[in-house]
Amino acid sequence: MGAIVRAEQHAEAVGNEEGQSQHLTFLLGGEMFAIPILNIKEIIEYGHLTTVPMMPAFIRGVINLRGSVVPVVDLAVRFGRKASDITRRTCIVIIEIESGDEKQDVGVVVDTVNEVLEIPRAEIEQAPSFGARIRADFIRGMGKINGKFVIILAVNHVLSIDEMAMLGQAGSAEPEALAPV
Amino acid sequence: MELDQALQTFIVESRELLEAMEESLLGLESSPDDHDAINAIFRAAHTIKGSGGLFGLDGIVAFTHVVENVLDRVRSGEVPINGDLIALLLSCRDYIGMLVDQIAADSAAQPDKETEATGIMLLNQLRTYQAGEKKQSPISATAQSQPRMAVVPPPDGTVESDHWHISLRFGHDVLRNGMDPLAFIRYLDNMGKIIHVVTLPDAMPLAPDMDPESCYLGFEIDFHGDGVDKTTIEGVFEFVRDDCTLRILPPHSRIEEYTRLINELPEDKIHLGELLVNSGSLTRKELDEALHLQQILRAEYSQEAAPKLGDILVEQRVVQPELVDAALGKQKLAKENKAQESKLIRIQADKLDQLINLVGEMVIAGAATSLLAQRTCDPALHEATSTLSRLVEEIRDSALQLRMVQIGETFNRFNRVVRDVSKDLGKDIGLSICGAETELDKSVVEKIGDPLMHLVRNSMDHGIEKAEVRRQRGKPAKGTVHLNAYHESGSIVVEVGDDGGGLNREKIFAKALEKGLITASQNLSDVEVYGLIFEAWFSTAEQVTNLSGRGVGMDVVRRNIEALRGTVEIDSREGIGTTVKIRLPLTLAIIDGFLMGVGSASYVVPLDMVMECIELDEAERRESRESNYINLRGTVLPFIRLRDHFRERSKVSRRENIVVVQYAGQKAGLVVDELMGEFQTVIKPLGKLFGNLKGISGSTILGSGEVALILDVPALIQRAASRDAQLLACSQAEQIVA
Repeated sequence: MGAIVRAEQHAEAVGNEEGQSQHLTFLLGGEMFAIPILNIKEIIEYGHLTTVPMMPAFIRGVINLRGSVVPVVDLAVRFGRKASDITRRTCIVIIEIESGDEKQDVGVVVDTVNEVLEIPRAEIEQAPSFGARIRADFIRGMGKINGKFVIILAVNHVLSIDEMAMLGQAGSAEPEALAPV
Repeated sequence: MELDQALQTFIVESRELLEAMEESLLGLESSPDDHDAINAIFRAAHTIKGSGGLFGLDGIVAFTHVVENVLDRVRSGEVPINGDLIALLLSCRDYIGMLVDQIAADSAAQPDKETEATGIMLLNQLRTYQAGEKKQSPISATAQSQPRMAVVPPPDGTVESDHWHISLRFGHDVLRNGMDPLAFIRYLDNMGKIIHVVTLPDAMPLAPDMDPESCYLGFEIDFHGDGVDKTTIEGVFEFVRDDCTLRILPPHSRIEEYTRLINELPEDKIHLGELLVNSGSLTRKELDEALHLQQILRAEYSQEAAPKLGDILVEQRVVQPELVDAALGKQKLAKENKAQESKLIRIQADKLDQLINLVGEMVIAGAATSLLAQRTCDPALHEATSTLSRLVEEIRDSALQLRMVQIGETFNRFNRVVRDVSKDLGKDIGLSICGAETELDKSVVEKIGDPLMHLVRNSMDHGIEKAEVRRQRGKPAKGTVHLNAYHESGSIVVEVGDDGGGLNREKIFAKALEKGLITASQNLSDVEVYGLIFEAWFSTAEQVTNLSGRGVGMDVVRRNIEALRGTVEIDSREGIGTTVKIRLPLTLAIIDGFLMGVGSASYVVPLDMVMECIELDEAERRESRESNYINLRGTVLPFIRLRDHFRERSKVSRRENIVVVQYAGQKAGLVVDELMGEFQTVIKPLGKLFGNLKGISGSTILGSGEVALILDVPALIQRAASRDAQLLACSQAEQIVA
């Protein structure tokens, strides 16, 4: 399980929440997204995934991350799109989520990771109220990179443990309602 | 030792002492003449007071002091023990517990108004027992002083002053050991009156040589106290006994004693003599006499060949002979206590948790090694890894054993609850305990207290009838609540039973119907109907008491128990009683599992639940397409096809097996593709995200590094049953429509 990139989470140089500007960009279904690197623990190769039955489709399963069991979320399905195809370049990005007082690691399946980019605060626009084809509360802002917009994700909303657990409950209560693939 | 740490120790110890105190008090109720119990209570109060004083916890010391006084009178037989006094002492115990809790929360906290009011009320009640003391004091004083008179030397040669003289030299390490010399002197003041204190700085070195963390001071104290004896004064300094030199001279001691004292003390003799005169212990004349005697005594001492200290003291009438005996007895007791202490080691829980975690990692790593060894065809390596796995298994078992505690301690707490609640309710209810020695994981024990408390209260309030009703029904007037624990196929069962009126099936059914939890056509078994009382907001009680009846508690009980991966069920017979059975896993960390494969996925069930494994042959497979049961040696065995249940989409394998599992007396089959055998399973929680997932209780890591899921057999069976019922209801509805 080779770590391709290990983003140091406690990168002091990045500074506080307000001033942070380093983002990891990645591709998902041909579209580019960004996540602030402070939330990212590491990036690993896709593989050794165990499916958990009776869970909604956006929860792909769990992996063993050096002895702890970490759930893996398919972002594309979470955004209401078709599940990502697994390729040679598919990665799992391990993100730390704060849920209540606890911290929990969640893996996210992405098609390709691109690079770590500096997006100055001035270059971040507010999220549009509609038109981005994903839920408005999932968007933290729109970053401008080379004149193109990149959606910066609000990870705490996208990967909200409470919300996903609730969807999981709905899923396991009515298994028939699950979309067959 | 850090002071904070010492304070923590104090808190932990106080709680233990309070618990012991409660147990003894409750014991006294049934056998009021138990002297050991009275002594134990007294000792507990005394120790709490003593250690409280060290930390300057004046609130605790002041209150406990009064309690201790009353207890002392009980001990000497001056106050008879009776129900009222026990009740009062129990409240006092609770109050001290409250004070300790407050200190635990915030060491600088002052008691709030409410607590203070409780304290004052209790003190007033205690005073009635002390008031007796004052009335009786003339008699008891003479009675007490009688034996003392016998050993007090004749008036000739004694000093006039009627004070105790205490000379105290603290060791250098007193401060470093977390003791405050002043605290002891202040504490001494509680017992009587300090007439004179002289601080002796003689041992103080010159400034450059002085270590600010060392204590160089000595004290000469004149102390006047009514009814104190030498043991009491010595008791004050019990905690620094090893760290100080203490000499106590009783009132009217002989002048020789003072001479000796002066001789023995390291300070300048003339200076000391002056001190004693100044403090009023000696008159000038007595001092002169003493200094005169010094010569003779010195000659005497040089001849004496190191006689036993105790003998000298008695001979010199410094101590009363019985005191020596008492001290010897005490020493022996202390030694015994030490011997017991050394058998137990107090370990911080997180250290133990870390060990268990490491053992868990080792089990996983061991499994990976065995897997690799199996791939190579090296018999020596096989041998080595199998030895290793056996050792790992033993280490795992011993490590888990460390966390096992007996449930008895939790059970015993209910003696008090039953006693108090039965008084509140005006019912006569006793508690019987069985299986107190049953062991279970500490983390489970901690979390089971609240649900048990609720169930016991429920039984007492709703279960057990009023005495007159009981008599009418031909039962003994005294009701009984029963706590029982035992092991059963890999889980522990805790039962809360009563011999009360039992549950009313019709009433529950009607109520559930009214609440829309069930429909009238549903055919439910008794257990299912009784299970309804665990639904939220379900209560058949006509009135809400301050104990129960709101319909919240049972729901919470069930949630708490489910959070521990346990189940709860009720067995009840109308007019005879109700028993609530709580079934809990033995441990939350590592279990022996049975590994099986479905498609590409692996699943684990606790090995203790597995009864047998059988292969499903071709005929049975065809047959079982239609119905979900097989004929197992003449009995019907319903089964769950995990492949269908989990909607596994891989190709159906050529062979299928049935794993027969048993839970709570119920047998069921799990149809799987492959049997992979025993597996040491380190339970890894799946986390909140999967919190609502029914049928899977956790996960584990296989030797290959992959994750396998642990099946929650009871939930699986329940789910399958409810799904069958649903399907049936649907098809019936369709038929009606058609």
